[in-house]
Amino acid sequence: MRDVSVTGLYKAFGTHLVLAGVDLEVPAGSLTAILGPSGSGKTTLLRLMAGFERADAGTITIGDTVVDGPVVYVPPERRRIGYVPQEGSLFPHLTVQANVGFGLPARERRGGAKAAGLLELVGLDGLGQRYPHELSGGQQQRVALARALAIEPAVVLLDEPFASLDAHLRASVRADVQEIFRRAGTTAILVTHDQDEALSTADRVAVLRDGKIAQYAVPEDLYDRPADADLAGFIGDANLLEGVASAGAVKTRLGRLPLDGSGPVPVHEGQVTVLIRPEQIELGPGEDGVPGRVTSYRYHGHDAVLRVQPEDDTAGQQITVRVVGGPHLPPGSPVTLRVRGPVLAWPRD
Amino acid sequence: MAATGTLADRQDAPGRPSPQRTRRPVALLTGSYLVAAVLALPLVFLLIEARGAGASAVAHLIFRPLTGTLLWNTVRLTVVVTAACAVIGTLAAWCVERTDLPGRRALAVLVVVPLAIPDFVVSFGWNSLWIWAQGFRGAVIVMTLAVYPLVYLPVAASLRSADPGQEEVARALGSGRVRTFVRITLGQARGAIAGGCLLVALVLLAEYGAFEILGYQTFTTEIFYEFHSYSFSASCALSLVLVLLGMLVLAADGLVRGRGRVARSGPLTQRVSPPQRLGQARWPVLAAFIALILLALGVPVGAAIYWIVDGLPPVLSGGANVSLLDAAGHTTAYSAAAGLLATVMSFPVAMLAIRHSGRMRHLLERSTYLVLGMPGVVIAFALSYFTERYAAGFGYGTSMLLIACYAIMFFPLALVGVKASLARAPVSLDEVARSLGQRRLAVLGRVTLRLAGPGLVAAFCLVFLSAVTELTATLLLIPTGTQTLATQFWVYETNLSYSQAAPFALVMIIVATLPSIVLGRFFNRTAQAQG
Repeated sequence: MRDVSVTGLYKAFGTHLVLAGVDLEVPAGSLTAILGPSGSGKTTLLRLMAGFERADAGTITIGDTVVDGPVVYVPPERRRIGYVPQEGSLFPHLTVQANVGFGLPARERRGGAKAAGLLELVGLDGLGQRYPHELSGGQQQRVALARALAIEPAVVLLDEPFASLDAHLRASVRADVQEIFRRAGTTAILVTHDQDEALSTADRVAVLRDGKIAQYAVPEDLYDRPADADLAGFIGDANLLEGVASAGAVKTRLGRLPLDGSGPVPVHEGQVTVLIRPEQIELGPGEDGVPGRVTSYRYHGHDAVLRVQPEDDTAGQQITVRVVGGPHLPPGSPVTLRVRGPVLAWPRD
Repeated sequence: MAATGTLADRQDAPGRPSPQRTRRPVALLTGSYLVAAVLALPLVFLLIEARGAGASAVAHLIFRPLTGTLLWNTVRLTVVVTAACAVIGTLAAWCVERTDLPGRRALAVLVVVPLAIPDFVVSFGWNSLWIWAQGFRGAVIVMTLAVYPLVYLPVAASLRSADPGQEEVARALGSGRVRTFVRITLGQARGAIAGGCLLVALVLLAEYGAFEILGYQTFTTEIFYEFHSYSFSASCALSLVLVLLGMLVLAADGLVRGRGRVARSGPLTQRVSPPQRLGQARWPVLAAFIALILLALGVPVGAAIYWIVDGLPPVLSGGANVSLLDAAGHTTAYSAAAGLLATVMSFPVAMLAIRHSGRMRHLLERSTYLVLGMPGVVIAFALSYFTERYAAGFGYGTSMLLIACYAIMFFPLALVGVKASLARAPVSLDEVARSLGQRRLAVLGRVTLRLAGPGLVAAFCLVFLSAVTELTATLLLIPTGTQTLATQFWVYETNLSYSQAAPFALVMIIVATLPSIVLGRFFNRTAQAQG
């Protein structure tokens, strides 16, 4: 169990700058997700940590050892990194047991007791003699995980490990993996473009944007107190409204709302951008609130998401609202919008 | 260590050898350039000789009526045979891989075996049985039957690994069976067809023995003749024209290939599509296959047996008491050594091409194909020239030089096989292996070579069977006092002693058939069968 520390990391491919000064501290024993849209450089960051590529500048430290720095480069085979690639990448010419035992010294490989124990840990006991192509996608992913854990790695790196699984399987494998890491106490870094996955799986989430870490926080903070409006739109659904702040409150199209003082940027006076999450809005048939008409209604089972056009401004921005339960509201239904609790705002320039 | 820093001031940090920390694959690059340099020797030799003769002399030798005749003969034969091979090879591959043709497993092997029969044995078979099989007509028949497997093999392999889903989608979008074949299937196999045609065209440019027997005059037969009458400047001038033709073929291949790449889903998720039903058409198709195999395989083998059983009494009696076994031993030993050498040589070039693509590296890889279009006699002369000139005759007259010559001649064939096999060992597996604590060499042994193994054997076999059937360079470089199957066959054949030549032809076919069956099996393996 080691911590991982990245400072001032740069990496370019040709003239294309992929990482532009990444700083990140991953505490020992935690599960950290690196979240970013495709092409944001998150896989590159993972490959630099694993040692498959060298950084152009900056340092990577695992535990007390600098593994990539101006004058140091530790090759991947000496980093004790457990790497789980996107497609699992099992060795097709080896059995499951031989795959799991691949990184062990020849003495421990014989007999296969250790491999069998790891297969049990990932819930695949008895499948040791199969070949990778005889396994389902989820099983292959678990074998890849067992193989990575076999070398008792200082850190496990997972590159979109659940992306190739179907939705139903993804949730269960994700929960299993989380549980395995908790029990083994391993430091794990997970790369994903799926914000749902990042928020629900990780202890801490680092959002990678334009080659830099835009925000690094626990999932709740990331969702409730994003560092800027752009991030608020990236993590979950968001209504971003213009407003004018004064004396602890902000005036918006949805009325005068109290300001949340705990935001990352202190706001006092003047032009601001206001974040209102869809679940912060209550719908009512009553007089109280801003009147509007439903323009679309999407039903998800556990909740429903509506788009509402406020009546005072029929050409303006529509408001997204999430409701739990309640009646079906076809387009055209009249509703009133009321915002619950304080809202977050950032100064606008 | 500073916690922050810009790119610029980091670059000035002490001990930094270069602004980029990323390592270039130095060992691979060095190996590849070395191999490319060795392969360039024949061309360098031609240029040195041409310079010695003087520009005006070379121009005089090139611009004469004979060159026009040779050009016409060579070009029309290359075009016609390449087209015929493309059609036969592609159709045969599609029938075997994608239809419910009866007995296609057996056909898949039989259809490849003609590759094992030396071109000059095929022409001997036809020409010795039927006098009309000569000239342009004979050359087209013989060469098509001898080399179409060079198209069949890569096309069958690509059809086998191509995504069958694309055909299904095309059918679902309302495209008929024929349109689907033309627009989707041929599109998927385009690169493989082009690659096969490239090999066929280059092999045709360099062919000597078959054309000599058929009395068909091409650049290569003329170059051989001029070399033997010691008019070096004339043969070099003609060789340079031939090299230009080879470059044209390569350029045409590059154009056809285009920049398109075939996207594939992961190899482990490969689905096998149900074969297309031929229905009533399957019996005529089967008959066509049997006819093809009879013509390509039956005629030369039958001719050899006919001349052994029913042959005229030996023309050369007494003196030429060469043991069949000795000749077979020499052939096998030289060819095996050449196969090994060529496979090892092609490894760095293939690795560079597959794992570290780049413009210069691509050009380097493509340029190595040129050697396939050069007559063996030119390569042999180039090697003896350089050893005599710069290595004090080291190795001259020994089997070493002959083996090196084979390895250079058939390097492109090894490269094709090694590249195909390395594509089966994706770089991501290497990375995983390294993250599991394995050093580079261990990864090579435990992962890359294990996965690429069957393909490396295939590359070896391709070179082996080509070397078994090589004639012109062997005639020049063979150590004094030894004979191979090919050279001894040639001695008897040119003296019209068919009954004595025939056993050598038969043994040659047997020695070369085994590797060709291995080849057929390698190219037929599915991804699944790897387990």
